Amino acid sequence: MFSRRDFLAAGLYSTAAGLIVPPVLAKGVLAAANDGIHNDRVLLVLQLGGGNDGLNTVIPFADGAYHDARPTIGITPDKVLKLDAQVGLHPALTGLKALYDAGHVAIVQGVGYPTPTYSHFEALHVWEYADPARRATDGWLGRLLASQQLDTQGHPFACCAAGEASEPTELRSQNLGAQVSVIDSLQSYRIQGGQGRELAVTNLYRKTPGLYGALFDSAVATAQDGIAALQKSSSYTPAASYEPRGVVYGSKVDLASALQLAAQIIVTQPAAKIIHVVLGGFDTHQQQDVRQQSLLAYVDTAVSAFMQDMTAHGVDKRVTLFTWSEFGRRVKENGSTGTDHGAASPMFVIGGAVKGGLLGRQSSLTQTVDSGNLAYSVDFRSVYQSLLRDWLGADPKPVLGQTFAESGLSWVA
Amino acid sequence: MSTSALRLSRRQALGLAAAGAAGAAGLRLVTLHLGGATAPVASASAAGPGGAWANPLGDARAQAAHLLRRAGFGYTPAELDAAASMAYADLVDALVNQKPDPLPLPARPTDYRSVVQTWYAHMATTTSQFPERMTLFLHGHFTSDYRKANRQPYVHQQNQTYRSLGLTDLRSLLRAVTYDPLMMAYLDLTRSSATAPNENYSRELMELYTMGVGNYSEADVREGARALSGIRVKAVDANGNTAQIPRPTSRTAAALSQYYAQLDQLAQQGVVFKGVVSPRQHDQGTKTYLGRTGNLGPDDVIDAILAKDATATFIAGKTLTYFSLMQPSNDYLNRVATAFRGSGYDMKTLMRTIFLSDEFRSGAAYRGLVRSPADYMVATMRALGQPDLAAMAVTAGQGMDQVLYDPPTVAGWPLNGGWVSSSAWLARLGFAQTVVNRGGSLPDPVTAVQTQLDGVVGADTARVFNASQTASDRWYALLASPEFHLK
Repeated sequence: MFSRRDFLAAGLYSTAAGLIVPPVLAKGVLAAANDGIHNDRVLLVLQLGGGNDGLNTVIPFADGAYHDARPTIGITPDKVLKLDAQVGLHPALTGLKALYDAGHVAIVQGVGYPTPTYSHFEALHVWEYADPARRATDGWLGRLLASQQLDTQGHPFACCAAGEASEPTELRSQNLGAQVSVIDSLQSYRIQGGQGRELAVTNLYRKTPGLYGALFDSAVATAQDGIAALQKSSSYTPAASYEPRGVVYGSKVDLASALQLAAQIIVTQPAAKIIHVVLGGFDTHQQQDVRQQSLLAYVDTAVSAFMQDMTAHGVDKRVTLFTWSEFGRRVKENGSTGTDHGAASPMFVIGGAVKGGLLGRQSSLTQTVDSGNLAYSVDFRSVYQSLLRDWLGADPKPVLGQTFAESGLSWVA
Repeated sequence: MSTSALRLSRRQALGLAAAGAAGAAGLRLVTLHLGGATAPVASASAAGPGGAWANPLGDARAQAAHLLRRAGFGYTPAELDAAASMAYADLVDALVNQKPDPLPLPARPTDYRSVVQTWYAHMATTTSQFPERMTLFLHGHFTSDYRKANRQPYVHQQNQTYRSLGLTDLRSLLRAVTYDPLMMAYLDLTRSSATAPNENYSRELMELYTMGVGNYSEADVREGARALSGIRVKAVDANGNTAQIPRPTSRTAAALSQYYAQLDQLAQQGVVFKGVVSPRQHDQGTKTYLGRTGNLGPDDVIDAILAKDATATFIAGKTLTYFSLMQPSNDYLNRVATAFRGSGYDMKTLMRTIFLSDEFRSGAAYRGLVRSPADYMVATMRALGQPDLAAMAVTAGQGMDQVLYDPPTVAGWPLNGGWVSSSAWLARLGFAQTVVNRGGSLPDPVTAVQTQLDGVVGADTARVFNASQTASDRWYALLASPEFHLK
């Protein structure tokens, strides 16, 4: 049976076939090529919502200014998981430390952008749209889709959000060809009531009038095509336990389940290119000691299980996961055993093909901006540029609008 | 708010371009064959991407229905009949002057799910629909997350506070919000002190609740935090005396369960919680905030905010995009803001001005908003006369991405296109399927096409409805249709 979006898919596949494949893509060609797929690499976006405190994540433990600024929530040097003589990871990040030691984690320190904003929503807007001027109307990955550089575009799983019910802003585009499968859970990803209802829904959402008509129709068509693709796909059994250890404090989203769903999509859907997952709760104005510890431990378990699962399925070299958060937090703690909104913070880039190590440089804790916030040394768009060009094999220019300094990120060929 | 607006700008332009032509064409009646009988069903004359819904708002009954969908949560046929018998301006007055109907105390005030289930049933049954709608709107605007309540009975109390003050004035509302225990917990005022002022509430009060970015400085955020420091939550019994609140004897499950039962019992006895300024914790020094200098406290912060022109404009904009048009014109916004400011921030004036505006009843407004999940579910409960769906609504909201008191961010709920995703739509369709198959009698679906959808039905919906034979299949077609997800 033809899918409802086959006309679109067919158009895009033929476009893709006519494109000149950048040399970097040639290295990524796998068995999936006979499906019209030239590059089977996946970019997994892990958003840490609320502004993760970077200073207590990648800790400058050798700097006395760090301990002066954080008398109660500072992590003492004996507890830090040391990466070198200057910096180390939060003690909850044992799994990431092991991955780092194995050479699969790059940490870009001091990431930010000029003239930072301390508002969640403005800062989210900056990162999601990759536009500090906040004039862009599509998310940066939405712009990537709109630029039609992914060879599986038109497939419902080319771009997905896992474990969420709403479409993430980063993936949004006004171009209706850039559809996103938003999958809360596989159990609920179906039309209840059998064939009669499926037919009714198909007929109800064909040419809906009004402002929202095309949007409604497109969401329903994407759901139906995705359901069909899942029914045709191979089976998947997780090869790692995603169970969190201990209590997970204050998160709305089940990151472990979301990452397991992402793993299933990667293993069974060769067309998958972009997957978004999110964990919230990092806005630690109060009780940061307990809350951040719990959240980071959860991230650590879930990401470790995910990477283990990818390795067991032999696809770890196909996946690059990166983390971002809308801002780091103020250098000085606030007295409610918490920290207020800040600026620059580190990003993690993780994957079987990632060349690990420390990149960028730790921001000074004394030479700060805006009364006590960390200055940046790497523009986040430099990181996006590397991910687009060197990982996905796309031209970053139509997405980012300009060229940025090199982030230093690289991948094993 | 801004992301949904941005996202749809292209489609909106298309929709608006087509609206003129469709409006001129008006309604076209078609006859459908329904299981042997025939019934007239109106069909939108313009259909297809970029086409607009035919506009029925020239008709008094359609106008009343349009108002009830937005000022309330939909209606039963009898309620629509009563509303349609009134002149439109009289109907607006009657709604705006409805007395808030207090939310019954739920079985377990310490469990937010118990509160939310009680609230869903209340939204579906109360005759004071407009104060109830305002309560939902304010829950999204001055939003809070149940988690930060740490199972104190704050959720029920905030819900009731917003209901009782929603149609008074902005100053009373802002004071109540600032001293509200759930808000205090949510935005970290409960431990903010002179020595360690917490900036969270100070920032969001200006950015999200009153003025918007660009109308204050980072220094105002810091100084505001000082002026707002030192508010502490106190328990007060039904006689106004300080109440003793027990502490859990241990952290075991049994001890905690006993502790929450005690808290539930205290709530039943009328014990309430409120924020009070503690002079010892409050910063008594001189602050400079929004151009005012002195030993400023929380009430001075609110007064300073209300003295800014940006406040009325911001609140009017937020209210207009929720109730009237996704992208109101500057002229419309300024008109409503001026009326609101001129009335001393009277909420009834604000809402009356919006409902009586020409724009509210324009072709662009018709089906110009997407029902939120709560809105969709309560409208379903009212259309079917089944308020007992409240328990299901609590769990079903999750897949549609709306669990009340669990907003995605401190900016509250999305609007319109922000609710649309593949997953969220499957959850809505699943709710419709469960509802029409749970047994019991369903009202006449043919009548419902007229009452619930104003007889304005797209060709595809008409065809599916027409092909359905049973009442449950027809109700599925209606509740699953794009038409019913719009207002």
